[in-house]
Amino acid sequence: MATHALFESASGYAIFQVKLHEDIGARTKAVQDSIKDLAKFGKMVSLISFSPFKSAAEALENINDISEGLLNDHLKSLLELNLSKSKKGSNVVLAVSDAVLASAIGESLKIKCDASDDSQEIIRGIRLHAAKLLKGLEANDLTKAQLGLGHSYSRAKLKFNVNRVDNMII
Amino acid sequence: GRGGARGGAKVILEPHRHPGVFIAKGKDHLLVTKNLVPGESVYGEKRISIEGGVDDTKVEYRVWNPFRSKLAAGVLGGMDKVFIEPGKKVLYLGAASGTSVSHVADIVGPEGVVYAVEFSPRSGRDLINMAKKRTNVIPIVEDARLPNKYRMLMSTVDVIFADVAQPDQARIVIHNAQYFLKDGGHVVISIKASCIDSTAAPSAVFVQEVQKLRENKFKPIEQITLEPYERDHAMVSAEYQRHL
Repeated sequence: MATHALFESASGYAIFQVKLHEDIGARTKAVQDSIKDLAKFGKMVSLISFSPFKSAAEALENINDISEGLLNDHLKSLLELNLSKSKKGSNVVLAVSDAVLASAIGESLKIKCDASDDSQEIIRGIRLHAAKLLKGLEANDLTKAQLGLGHSYSRAKLKFNVNRVDNMII
Repeated sequence: GRGGARGGAKVILEPHRHPGVFIAKGKDHLLVTKNLVPGESVYGEKRISIEGGVDDTKVEYRVWNPFRSKLAAGVLGGMDKVFIEPGKKVLYLGAASGTSVSHVADIVGPEGVVYAVEFSPRSGRDLINMAKKRTNVIPIVEDARLPNKYRMLMSTVDVIFADVAQPDQARIVIHNAQYFLKDGGHVVISIKASCIDSTAAPSAVFVQEVQKLRENKFKPIEQITLEPYERDHAMVSAEYQRHL
């Protein structure tokens, strides 16, 4: 079972410590209800580091890597700083959303990663309460960051300039 | 003239059974949504100004055509609930050029959010341009089959609406729900029978698709046909229950 969890948001990366987790795997109504309840879920995880992106360009660079399952240098140094140095990575098991990114982290940092259903359940809970759990964010900050990054990520996906009107070929 | 929809002052506005949706009763009865960006049409649709705003100002509504929007067809076809309401967070899969999404944005209003996913760059360009004016729409030009690719852009949503017209549509919806749909949230899916299996009877296809949902933590709520607006289409709603 995971001892930590990585959450990638439009505002930045967050690393959580997972404290109470024995039951998360059990898909009972009681467990699902306690994940929904911030007071209860707040006791299962605690934020150990939140590293906001410094610019829109940095956010775009990171989402491009995350979407391809690549370990960005920014994320690499954050994980190194918080997880591998202190405990030499020995007891740490990091819940990661994407199995491809999980193996990239495992190979390059020797941190044990886990992308199982149990880990997904923890990350689901973090996503549900993200606006409250990520300290320093105002209520609408996360949505604003998603909006800006959604536009820049999507624009970059288009092979042509969105501001240009197509020239008709007669 | 500006078209028949503008019946002068004789148009009366009534709220529809679905919150955030309205009916403009003039010469004809028209389904409308309150224009989030007054003064502009998104795709050439008619607009109607109706008195009743603050200080005798007019409020502008946009005509929502059930022949162009599956969700509008579902509303007029008698869906009991579509779960897309003011203030809700909606994940819209198969956003296309954003014409239907713009009405969803009107419905959820400034307090709501629409995450609009569309894979085709050609449609995606129009979607992005629509979203520039409607800031409650987050455009995501990406493959809905790979929700992990856009997880950084997402919060947990109340509703997933899907109109992807792909053979594996149910799988796409289930996969997105696992990541982003809250426990107790809802899905509303437009199913085009011929996109899933063009040889089977449409009714058999609908049964099969509902069964896939049932096997993946969804409790089906209702199913209607989209006749007369679409042929061999069904709209299905279901509740997500993670503990099932």
